[in-house]
Amino acid sequence: MNYSLITLEFLAALLGLAVLVADLWVPSTARRALGLGLAAALSCLLALAVGSLAPQSGSAFSGMFVVDDLARYFKGFFLFAGLAVVLMAVEFAPKFGAGLSEFFSLTVFAMVGMLCAASANDLALLFVSLELVTVTFYVLNSFQRTRLASLEAGVKYLILGGVSSAFMVFGIALVFGMANSTNFAVLAAKQKELAGSAVFLVGLLLILVGLGFKIAAVPLQMWAPDVYQGSPAPATAFLAIGSKAAGFVLLIRLFIGALPQVTAEWHRLFVVMSAATILYGSLCAIPQRNLKRLMGYSSIANAGYLLLGLVAASYTATSAGPTAMLVYLGGYAFTVLAAFAVISALANHVDGDDISALSGLGQRSPVLAAGLTAAIVSLAGIPPMAGFFGKVLLIQGVLAAAPGHPELYALIAVAVVGVVLSLYYYFGVIRAIYWGGQSANLSTIPVALPTRLLLGSCVVGMLVLGVFPQGLVKLADQAVAGLSHPAAAAPVKAAH
Amino acid sequence: MIPGLHHYLIVSALLFSLGLLGVVARRNLFVVYMGLELMLNAANLALVAFSRFHNNLNGQVMVFFIITVAAAEVAVGLALLVALYRKRQTAHVEDLTTLKL
Repeated sequence: MNYSLITLEFLAALLGLAVLVADLWVPSTARRALGLGLAAALSCLLALAVGSLAPQSGSAFSGMFVVDDLARYFKGFFLFAGLAVVLMAVEFAPKFGAGLSEFFSLTVFAMVGMLCAASANDLALLFVSLELVTVTFYVLNSFQRTRLASLEAGVKYLILGGVSSAFMVFGIALVFGMANSTNFAVLAAKQKELAGSAVFLVGLLLILVGLGFKIAAVPLQMWAPDVYQGSPAPATAFLAIGSKAAGFVLLIRLFIGALPQVTAEWHRLFVVMSAATILYGSLCAIPQRNLKRLMGYSSIANAGYLLLGLVAASYTATSAGPTAMLVYLGGYAFTVLAAFAVISALANHVDGDDISALSGLGQRSPVLAAGLTAAIVSLAGIPPMAGFFGKVLLIQGVLAAAPGHPELYALIAVAVVGVVLSLYYYFGVIRAIYWGGQSANLSTIPVALPTRLLLGSCVVGMLVLGVFPQGLVKLADQAVAGLSHPAAAAPVKAAH
Repeated sequence: MIPGLHHYLIVSALLFSLGLLGVVARRNLFVVYMGLELMLNAANLALVAFSRFHNNLNGQVMVFFIITVAAAEVAVGLALLVALYRKRQTAHVEDLTTLKL
């Protein structure tokens, strides 16, 4: 067995433990320096992961853990997200009170769960890595123990997350019972006979419930607005990007990679899920006045756009859908991280997270105002930002499959309506930044160097992915190409 | 009568439904949490039954993972519920109303 494949996960877990141990010796005044040290270590790990020490392709632990181009793509993605969240937490530190080092190490542990999820090729590893992420987030979300909103967000996430993982475990039990294995390769090989078994399909549907909770897709989106609003900003950022992407990588691996035949049978379910998610997120975001809650609804709508890729994959055997999902997630990471970097930096200088509290930001801190504006423009899908190109790719994927399927044209119309609605509520944020009326407090907001660097790299990332997306598209294409199991027959075209 | 696979599965489905009923119908957070544990154990029962009748030990290994994860979840969850109780002096679902539009 090739243990060297898990080097990255192992080093990251060691790093998390090292932070806990170092906390014993570091004086409480130097906790922020500890965070910066951790960020430096994570960026070394990121450089290794995408550079010379990238894990080789292969599988370990009797096929449970695979490393391929898809896994490598997402490992880089999660390491960058973890690094950005640590930097945000350094900025957010005064709001935490005690326990800053624990926040750092829990962030790293959640990241380890995501790194494992990127390589999961077995329902057992899928369950354990998702639970590592979820249980860590129970703590991260309720980290401001003295703030009722944060505790309430944690408890809501706890109960709803617990229900969804109970559904997922029961689904895994049923799938195991029918397939006599939990390995994706075995499921792929047996999918023809399994697709006829009602118990197997019910089990798979329950697993979809568990994954749908992570990505906040309708009808499992109820938690997102409350939890996004109540959690501390860095935790919300990680929830919005890391936890969501972990759900999507497993969705891609299980439903597009391993079981394309079942996915093709379920095409109508995915169309309804995607359309309902886009509409729910976009419509409910309109009356929102709290910026983090708005981001919660925006994150629901974005889950709907990402599901367009799954819809495309359920209608055709081409890789356009999953490729578009990967590209969109890449741009979405820079966008969301930039937005939350600004929200974290503002937390110490602005009262509350209301959109109206942003008034005068254009004068108080041009850097933060520009960063947030860039993120909002990208979220709204306006060129030349990354969000525009990602949405174009996703809609193109569905459009390619659309001839002969009127429901797909309706879905595209829903997506376009969602984008138009989003222009309205995103513009409200920009208006508050620059034309928000008189603000009582016009003192300048100091922005620390790490936050400047993070914001700068996110904005550059958004611009580069929006203007020169070819590099990422090629990478995503490569990642998706190695996805299908050799044992699995080519996906049949959806029967109509 | 020797109990067969489907007997175990029926018991498991019943346990799962009872747990879900507890989560949906009960208003006390601690009782809701007990319902959650019942749902997890229903899945464990199904896994062990499948494992026994298919002569495949993988299912029982999976059960150990689930028990471990459930223990971690309970440890974190109860701590969280106690922290909420201290702050709010209540453990009722209806009282979680700080966060809304």
